Amino acid sequence: MSEIDALAGHRPDLQIDLVEQLRTTVERANDLLRALEGSFAAQEPMVPKPAERIRELEHRLSTTDSDVKELASRLVESEHQSGRLMSLYVATYQLHATLSPPEVQATIAEIAIDLLGAQQFVLLLRREEGDDCEIALRQGLGPGGQAPFAGDSYLGGDPMIDATLQDGLLRLGPTEDSPALAAVPLRVQHEIVGAIVLLKLLDHKPILRPEDRDLLDLLSAHAASALFAARLFAAKDRKLRTLESLVKLARGA
Amino acid sequence: MQPRKVLVVDDSKLMRKMYEVMLRQYPLVYAADGREALDRLREHADIDLILLDINMPNMTGLEFLAEMRADPGNAQTKVVIISTEGREEDTARGLEAGADAYISKPFRTEQILEVISRLADSAPAETSEIPA
Repeated sequence: MSEIDALAGHRPDLQIDLVEQLRTTVERANDLLRALEGSFAAQEPMVPKPAERIRELEHRLSTTDSDVKELASRLVESEHQSGRLMSLYVATYQLHATLSPPEVQATIAEIAIDLLGAQQFVLLLRREEGDDCEIALRQGLGPGGQAPFAGDSYLGGDPMIDATLQDGLLRLGPTEDSPALAAVPLRVQHEIVGAIVLLKLLDHKPILRPEDRDLLDLLSAHAASALFAARLFAAKDRKLRTLESLVKLARGA
Repeated sequence: MQPRKVLVVDDSKLMRKMYEVMLRQYPLVYAADGREALDRLREHADIDLILLDINMPNMTGLEFLAEMRADPGNAQTKVVIISTEGREEDTARGLEAGADAYISKPFRTEQILEVISRLADSAPAETSEIPA
């Protein structure tokens, strides 16, 4: 006996009604199934497949990796820059920190040795009278110095240094006719008053680095003015003391 | 473990100023030669690191190093020689004399910070006494 027979007995009208209800229910179920399938089909592109997801994550990882590398290189660059600025700040500060000529000269020597790594160098200052230069500072050349830096004066003879003393341009060597590594003009306002000549670097510093150029420019702009200001102050101070002594003597007498 | 205090031993005013700017994050004390440095060590018990120049008047860096290492109380104090003498034999001489690291002048800021950080990492952890 079929289930319809069980539910409707042997009444054909009820059987027809039940069959009709069953057909309607099946049709609704089919409609729902189609709607669900449509809904899944619409969502499918939004959920990537595992392989695609892996590729996307790998791409993101590689982008992040290159970002990290770029930031690291920028950090190194900014650390270098900050180091350069520190050297320049300290060198300038120290050059103008005193009005004692020997201390200014000592600072110039310390900048050359400790910050530039110079082993041999001379500081030349043009004399007020005459064409020669006073050798105000000589480092690493032995007690008597060596030509053309022997004695108290530089009389000329090195074409690179002579040219720098003439036109005030910073020159880097060595050249065919000069063993000097650098000839740095010293200026007070627009006047060339001397030069710092680097002749040899320390053994563990084979060449001048790009950042050394900043220090050479700084020396060019500040070393002479600091030294001249100190010398001027020392001369005036000496005169003042002499006058004070004379006044004391005059009062005592 | 970061150094509690750093002793800078250098006769150059320029270099002392440079350390002041470069090592702002550390408390610094200064000495201009080896004798002054020994005095500073006696005055400041919390000096963990010494930055030492070699060529100085009165008492050189190496003489100072020999004297300070003779005191067992300074055994844990780290010493970095910072000198213009940068040949291999100079480095070896400094390390044999009891230095923990050697840096040649001129140096870059990051070099010195890296060495300080390395020495700080290698320092033994502070031990505390267990009560009886």
